[in-house]
Amino acid sequence: MKTIRSLTTMLLFWVAITAFAKDSYPDFTVTGFGTLGASGTDTSQLSFRGTTKETPGVTDSWGFDSDSRLGLQLDAAINSSWHATVQWVARNTTGDFLEQNLEWAFLRWRPADNLDIRAGRLGFDTFMLSEYRNVGYAYLWMRPPHEFYGGLPIYHFDGADIAKKFTVGEGIMTIKAFGGHSFIQIPIPNSSVIADRSLSIAGGKLAYEVGNWNVRMSYSYLLNNLELAPLQPVLDGLNNAAVNTVWPSAQSLSQQISTKNKAFHYSSIGLAYDDGVWLTQLEASYIDTDLITYPSVANGYFSLGRRFGKLTLYSLFGISETLNNRVKFSNPLAPVPAVAALQNSIGRLSNLIGVDEKSISLGLRWDIHEHVALKTQWSHYWLGDNGTALWLAPASGPTPDIVNVWSVGMDFVF
Amino acid sequence: MAMPVPQADVAVIAHIKSNFSSLTAKQVQDIFMGRTRIFPNGKFALPIDQSSPLRAEFYEELTGRPVEQINAYWARIMFTGQASPPQRLPDDEAVLQTVRENEGAIGYIDKTRVDGTIRVLLLVQPWKP
Repeated sequence: MKTIRSLTTMLLFWVAITAFAKDSYPDFTVTGFGTLGASGTDTSQLSFRGTTKETPGVTDSWGFDSDSRLGLQLDAAINSSWHATVQWVARNTTGDFLEQNLEWAFLRWRPADNLDIRAGRLGFDTFMLSEYRNVGYAYLWMRPPHEFYGGLPIYHFDGADIAKKFTVGEGIMTIKAFGGHSFIQIPIPNSSVIADRSLSIAGGKLAYEVGNWNVRMSYSYLLNNLELAPLQPVLDGLNNAAVNTVWPSAQSLSQQISTKNKAFHYSSIGLAYDDGVWLTQLEASYIDTDLITYPSVANGYFSLGRRFGKLTLYSLFGISETLNNRVKFSNPLAPVPAVAALQNSIGRLSNLIGVDEKSISLGLRWDIHEHVALKTQWSHYWLGDNGTALWLAPASGPTPDIVNVWSVGMDFVF
Repeated sequence: MAMPVPQADVAVIAHIKSNFSSLTAKQVQDIFMGRTRIFPNGKFALPIDQSSPLRAEFYEELTGRPVEQINAYWARIMFTGQASPPQRLPDDEAVLQTVRENEGAIGYIDKTRVDGTIRVLLLVQPWKP
């Protein structure tokens, strides 16, 4: 009896607080976003793609799938301090279509008004746009600047982050730290091979938002946990005892080429201004690596736009340059054909993977409806020798130094 | 009055018992743009948005930006999993009803719909840079 009475009391109490609650929990919402876009170039010798996670890209025969995607997000407010979010995006990807496209799946705890702690699958918040690259409606351009975002195949990681907001002067400062693990699958050019990459990630950002200004700086540390599978035959060859008698530097070369347990350091700064009429944004980054197969690279872009009512006219300049010197190694002591072949493949590996790219773009965004924008963009790319790592080049034959890319698209949110 | 005052058409309203008499345009902006979740008195704020045509007018006058820019801002916040935009109600009547019933609620309505059951915190003036 006592148990029943206390249960009844609890039930009545629960009904009473529920009746006075401001909101009804749990509160579920479904939202989404998408882009329908088509792009084409003026060459058949090189394929343009949005990021290095995509294949096959577009050429002078136009294509839809590099710029088109559809995202769905489910939000569940469990109570005033707990919240769950799941986002899945159908898009061109490499590897497991369901798993690789699951962007977010996390639980957020907000113990105080300005403190967020999240755990689960989270966005890799290393550059200004890296968490909303898929949401075309939320940015000005046809796609995030190619030189800056094209070489970033990592969209998310599994782990935790903590973000704290402070009022500083008239603005709000955010400090965020994150850590976890990312499993990504990337295509190996000129093959049907899909490489699995496993990365440990830790990083942080500092951002300040005041009036029309937004500024941020961030750093991320990534540790490569797996050997890049296509390298294994070359590494085995270099570690072979017979090869080392003919070519004494082979073994140390193998250590240089190996990608396992090598680190990446991503450092970046960003600045954005938007007064409702004029908008400008710039970012600069330096990705420092010890990998010969992924050399250190410096990237930057600058964009300037002006709104005329529902129309926004913009220009964009981007640059990405590999900074490492090419790998140098001594020649074998004797001309053995198998060793010469190995030497050739190392030469290819170390010299064909750089980025030497600059571009200028002009574009127009037209907000035709409260939730729909039309965009068109022309981009003119200059590509240096061995500088097409963000593109897909044929296995042999010359590639053009100059490529024009035209795009049209429609972005929407719902 | 000696100076002509620009016509204000949108009133920001709260519960009749809210223990502050007004908010500045910046304070209202911070609440509706999700930059803060609390009132100046430290109480939890529950902003109520509208899905009516008044929404565009409210944001344009409050922020000086067209409503598409406000939507793009929320698309960025929402789809990066940071926060959710204010809940939307269909019209002035629904906002009035919710604000009358919830002490933390803050909404906006056409100024001509203001009555004695709620408190006006701000008459939104057209944006001046």
